[in-house]
Amino acid sequence: MKSNKLFPRVLGMVLGGLFFYAGLQKHYHPWEFAEAVLAYQLAPMWLAGVVAAVLPWVELIAGGLLVVGCKRRSALLLLALLVASFLVVLVVTMARGLQIDCGCGLFFQRQVGVVAVLEDLVLLAWAGGLYRWEMRGVSREQ
Amino acid sequence: MTRRGIFREDLAWAAFLLVLAVAFGLVKHWPLVNLSYQGKLSARLEEMRAQRRQVEFQGVRTLNIAQAYERFQKGQSLFIDARKPEEYAELHIAGAVNLPEEKLQERDNPALTGIAKERQIVVYCGEAHCDIALKVAEKLQSLGFTQVSAFLGGFRAWDEAGYPVDTSK
Repeated sequence: MKSNKLFPRVLGMVLGGLFFYAGLQKHYHPWEFAEAVLAYQLAPMWLAGVVAAVLPWVELIAGGLLVVGCKRRSALLLLALLVASFLVVLVVTMARGLQIDCGCGLFFQRQVGVVAVLEDLVLLAWAGGLYRWEMRGVSREQ
Repeated sequence: MTRRGIFREDLAWAAFLLVLAVAFGLVKHWPLVNLSYQGKLSARLEEMRAQRRQVEFQGVRTLNIAQAYERFQKGQSLFIDARKPEEYAELHIAGAVNLPEEKLQERDNPALTGIAKERQIVVYCGEAHCDIALKVAEKLQSLGFTQVSAFLGGFRAWDEAGYPVDTSK
């Protein structure tokens, strides 16, 4: 594999790994994650349970596919959509002045705030940039 | 295939992956989904939190909002706000002092050394979900303070009840 292809692939694997890890954390602690979802006070209770059950699997499936290098573009699209919706939720929560744990499920606990928003912006740019790169590669091959 | 066609195909696969995630999520976490659908999720979470706290913070006395307010009215208790300084500065229980968890590590902290060991202390944090009040109360007990209690409703419950608050701004 050429080095100009290898680097984005590695970036994709790292991104996939991050989401897979975050998904695992939430999957193994579903009740704690449901509590975090409820704390946002955005979804009705019946939906909070569904979000807590489904969201970890979105991260596990999309992250896992990116790691193994299968259906990469679709996995990137799904992750970009997921992060974009996280961003909307974070901004709305900040605007409402709620000081709650973000429930992001990565390496350390953090509150909803500017750091969490910046982190999501980086992830969105990462997923979006990789998707664009993948699309360019397909166009060139054709 | 055009770029638009490829994008549509990618989107269709992404939708399929989403459907797959929904199916796996619902099957794997059915008890959680079922309970939330019945509207019993909050009650179950509270029950689980109480059970966990009983094990994790054995020996820490707790107060509900009525008991905390009674202590406040008597005026003999020192209220300790265990939240971050910026949250405390915004609004806190009237007369409370700020003592976040990390400040407890400083042995010669004047906020700590100035408190008599037998003083009635009520510790609170932001809301019912947070464990910081319990952690700080436990730490204060280990430092020799004999009458420490944690107010579990937190600042949110106090504020929502319309009890006296103050700001440092």
